[in-house]
Amino acid sequence: MKHIVKIMAVVVAISAFWVGLLQTSIVSQDYTWLLPIYFIVSLGCYGLLMVGIGLMQFPTCPQEALLLQQVLYLRFYYNLLLYVIVLDEDILEAKDFLKQRDVDVGSD
Amino acid sequence: MESADRAVGFLLSLISLSIFSYYTFWVIALPLFYTDHFVHKYFLPREYAIIIPVFAGVALICFLCMFIGYVTLKSKKKKA
Repeated sequence: MKHIVKIMAVVVAISAFWVGLLQTSIVSQDYTWLLPIYFIVSLGCYGLLMVGIGLMQFPTCPQEALLLQQVLYLRFYYNLLLYVIVLDEDILEAKDFLKQRDVDVGSD
Repeated sequence: MESADRAVGFLLSLISLSIFSYYTFWVIALPLFYTDHFVHKYFLPREYAIIIPVFAGVALICFLCMFIGYVTLKSKKKKA
């Protein structure tokens, strides 16, 4: 809450300063919107800068990346194995079913 | 992979710093020079310092609205 109050106070002070400059005709009225737009542009630039700096400093942790890749491989093979086992069970079930119905299956 | 990240980050910060310095110089420092100084040749007239950011902001908001509308319509069509 206090942080917001501080920021609002700064914004009010800057706008009071700018309105004072405008009213006393130090800056012509054609340039009324110069200061707000300047601050918005600099805010955008600041955001971009922070994103760029964060990108540059982001750590990649190569060992953790390797471990993660191994974990992913393991999981993949585990799922593959489960899938193959289920398929085999299904094949056996289907063969039994057909044998009950006296269909010659002639398997390999 | 990390060098690509670092290159993109560096490019972003370079772009932002150059835009900031150009704009600051344009808006704040340029009026303090004499009107027949040669440096005015490299900068557009000062009205453009207001028009260009406003135009870019309006274009950004339009793009955002179109994107949100497009995503909403696509999700609605998929549900229906």
